[in-house]
Amino acid sequence: MKLATSKADLLAQLGTVSRVASTRSAVQALSGVQIIAREGAVELRATDMEVGLRVPLAAEVEREGTVVLPARLTLEVVRSLPGDRATLELRPGQGDVELVAGSATFHLRTLRAEDFPPFPEPGDGDASVTVPAAAFVETVGMVARSASRDETRPILTGVLVSASGTQLRMVATDSYRLSVKETRLETPLAGPLEANVPARALQELARIATATEADTLSVTVRDNQVVFAVDGIVLSSRLIDGQFPNYGQLLPDSYEHELRLAGGELTEVVRRMSLLALKNAPLRLRFAEGELTVSAQTPDVGEATESLPVPFTGEPFEIGFNPDFLRDGLETVESRDLVFKLISPIRPGLIEAADDSGFLYLIMPIRLNV
Amino acid sequence: MARIAHLDVDAFYASVELLRRPELRGKPVIVSGSGPRAVVTTASYEARVFGIGSAMPTSRARRLCPHAVLVAPDFPAYRAASAQVMELVRAQVEGVEVVGLDEAYLDLDGLVAPRAAMRRLVEQIRAHTGLTASVGIGPNRLVAKVASDAEKPRGFVVLSREEACARFAAASPGLVPGIGPKTVARLEAMGITTLGALAAAPEGELVVRFGANHGRDLRLRAAFQGTATITPVRIAVSESRERTLDADVGDPARQEAILRDLAEQLCERLARQERRGRTIAIKVRLDDFTTVTRARTLAATTCEAGVVAEVAVALLRDYAPPRPVRLLGVRVAAFAIGDPPVTDQLALPL
Repeated sequence: MKLATSKADLLAQLGTVSRVASTRSAVQALSGVQIIAREGAVELRATDMEVGLRVPLAAEVEREGTVVLPARLTLEVVRSLPGDRATLELRPGQGDVELVAGSATFHLRTLRAEDFPPFPEPGDGDASVTVPAAAFVETVGMVARSASRDETRPILTGVLVSASGTQLRMVATDSYRLSVKETRLETPLAGPLEANVPARALQELARIATATEADTLSVTVRDNQVVFAVDGIVLSSRLIDGQFPNYGQLLPDSYEHELRLAGGELTEVVRRMSLLALKNAPLRLRFAEGELTVSAQTPDVGEATESLPVPFTGEPFEIGFNPDFLRDGLETVESRDLVFKLISPIRPGLIEAADDSGFLYLIMPIRLNV
Repeated sequence: MARIAHLDVDAFYASVELLRRPELRGKPVIVSGSGPRAVVTTASYEARVFGIGSAMPTSRARRLCPHAVLVAPDFPAYRAASAQVMELVRAQVEGVEVVGLDEAYLDLDGLVAPRAAMRRLVEQIRAHTGLTASVGIGPNRLVAKVASDAEKPRGFVVLSREEACARFAAASPGLVPGIGPKTVARLEAMGITTLGALAAAPEGELVVRFGANHGRDLRLRAAFQGTATITPVRIAVSESRERTLDADVGDPARQEAILRDLAEQLCERLARQERRGRTIAIKVRLDDFTTVTRARTLAATTCEAGVVAEVAVALLRDYAPPRPVRLLGVRVAAFAIGDPPVTDQLALPL
């Protein structure tokens, strides 16, 4: 293998692909990036066996071939290179790649190419669905934070992605909160979609799609994997086994209180009060006639209290929330007005965007002992 | 001199049972499970007359005293009674180290009249709970412990170290905590049959026989030399429940049911103490006494029986015991120490 490329392109594409290279696999090749030079084109690949990424690289191929180089080290080396151009050449006798840029020469030992797994090909058009990239990325961004990071319940580490007609919907829950976002698409999709995709893969895809500024991305769902393609970059991911919880039945049928709040106002208060809700201490929301008092208290650290007017009527009550979870929900609504729906201190609360933008955030309280 | 008190509720489990069932008063009562491998947890003083003691196999106790009344243990009731007692103790004394449901070491430093305070405490416990307790007071934990045992029930013994040495000089070395039956037998083989003889034994001889540390330690114990430190909160690193099965169980479904049951008991206690752990482990002893433990660490702490049970059952399935099982246990460890105990995050029913 021998190729020549611009340093800037190489750095950008290596930076993208290296993010999915494994950092702690027993198989050394998985910590590597595979460079494939074939038929005049170059592709960089990396995978941790769950998520795989294929990124094209503009380069002149002098000799075809495939090598696997340690991802992190190669990235550091390329970042440091002098000049604008770089050449990479496999030296089979030495088992290394000679990387030359300006007056600098590096010899990087290759990793075992045989250990690098084969990659799925993107859809051949039959089962693949084209989705507007901006709508997809926005939807991911509004729910992915609610996905669980607890590997003991794998099903909750995914985002349920479903779409049909002009509706795209994503759902995620870690059992403490549940995010649902329904996004209306301008044109109907070619076909329906339904897959439980690891949140990590979607977050990576969102990052890539944002960076490439592509208009559309394509989604191909297979038996146990999903393949996304955006602007020549292919991201594949294992799908999560099992049935995603039937979230519809978790949403209460009715609420005791429905409070319409001005955009961002509660968010600001919650951000401030959260500064003193440390070490798992709950944020306390005390509702009384016309007023909400938010307070936090951490033993040996201090307390904070702030009130704001709210259209609350009825019997006063106090409810506790994990400050991070509450903030996540409020920040997702951003500056839009929101409706905060509550039942009792031990029933779920619902934060809803008031503009019919199709965002729901169900949050379970913390039981307050006092 | 009076720095440490040891307070021990008399025949605790049996006494709690007698309070609830006065008709058993004056009769020999044994608190114990009823299975073939059960052991006595407590015997009333009437039963102790027949030579019945704690940890004796229940089958043997029944042979010793066939007319003894067997009562199944009711731990929730014992815990409730214990909490009442300890609350009274803490109201009187600041430094309290609870070492069991029915025992505590108390730091008497700073009390104006420690003996009077202890007498008052015992009287309060009796008035409030109906339970009697014995108290030993001494310069260190060892003296206090032996003194509280010396005149049970309703004992109240105050000893200096020298007095303890003199009083128990003729007693077997096994009287002192930390000197077990095996050591007693080895000491006997050396011709040492009393604490007095042990305290006077040449250190060299003990060191040759028991090794440097243990040898020296034996002599110190015999001389009632000990520490007087009270650790007010015992920081438990783990909490477990295990059960020796009445008969070996080969059926995986039965094994899982037992694990779930143990997880529930364990979590009930953790929840009450507002403790949560991250590491869940199981212990499996096969009928050939092969003992295996398996553990898994979660992302977050828990004290939920459902979570603990699921992990325990998954661990059991992974191990798939190759032979019938004699004992099963569940352990929760890696407690979140220092976290405020309040967080009671509710979860969606997923």
